[in-house]
Amino acid sequence: MVVYSFYIFDRHGKNPIFIAITQLTVSSGMHLQTPLATAPGLHLRSTDDDSKLVFGTVFSLRNMVRKLGGDDDRALLSFVSFTTSQYKLHYYETPTNTKFVMLTDLKSPSMRIALQQIYINLFVEYVVKNPLSPTEHTGGVGVNNELFEQSLEQFVL
Amino acid sequence: MPSITRTVFSLIVINKAGGLIYQREFQPGLRKLSTNDYLVLAGTFHGVHAITRSITPKIPIAQPAPSPATSSPSATAPTASGYSYPNPGVPVTGLDYLETDKFRLTCFQTLTGTKFLLFTDPLTGNVENIVQKIYELYADYVMKNPFYQLEMPVRIRLVHILVSGDDSVSYTKTTHFSRTIERTQQGGSRIQDKQK
Repeated sequence: MVVYSFYIFDRHGKNPIFIAITQLTVSSGMHLQTPLATAPGLHLRSTDDDSKLVFGTVFSLRNMVRKLGGDDDRALLSFVSFTTSQYKLHYYETPTNTKFVMLTDLKSPSMRIALQQIYINLFVEYVVKNPLSPTEHTGGVGVNNELFEQSLEQFVL
Repeated sequence: MPSITRTVFSLIVINKAGGLIYQREFQPGLRKLSTNDYLVLAGTFHGVHAITRSITPKIPIAQPAPSPATSSPSATAPTASGYSYPNPGVPVTGLDYLETDKFRLTCFQTLTGTKFLLFTDPLTGNVENIVQKIYELYADYVMKNPFYQLEMPVRIRLVHILVSGDDSVSYTKTTHFSRTIERTQQGGSRIQDKQK
């Protein structure tokens, strides 16, 4: 299984609070993310147009699914994943509207449990429980937590 | 003896400009939206479908591999064929399947850009065949209808009559489309309904 990229959005979604690109990718603007080219493992990027597109996509789809899905437990209903001919996007949203998005190849199984584990075991432990971590990530700094990044790297790779 | 679960909630046909041209609910399960909401949904999906195509991960071809020291000058000059897609050889599509807890959305885009959205139960199998069949029916009964205006809504004036089971009204070709789709979707379930 190949994980192409991984995003975390807070409830505002204005800026992603965490982006990791595992496979080196070329953004649609045709410029190589070369500073990350040689180092293996996870690569961090501050901002990217792709992340905005990803957020827009999951936001629209989630709203669409909520509108169509029935009335019961609507608060928790959202989509699990979607597939194109090239990749699979997995989505998990916490009750506090933090959104976890992972792009993988088509062969990967459902990553719902994995994303949940990332939230419970890594995000809550290392980011939420960190007294120095801000509750609102408005400045665009993002999570910026080495321990979280390291353990995520171990978890994903 | 319903050996195969074949629950189709609804069908939406979107033209190549993102306009809703056909909407039909077959079995209850999804919430009913107003016509306006369906139009918005069709437009939104059209946009999202295009975006999902554009966020396809692009994997650079490994051979350049510039060192970090020389990266800044070369960063501005990537070769045009500097990347490949995860599944090279397969045409890049937008969203094909969307899975949720409640339903599964299958999107089939024709070569001309018309999109067929089929909302089914997550356990329903063989959805591709159903969609393919619907496409055939669309081609036969809508596109071959000389009175059909391209990109305009598929008129289904007699739908309420068909639902109520009154067959005495003469059919237009397009209502025949609806009827035949209904038969395709429901398969044997109509017979069961009659037995009730």
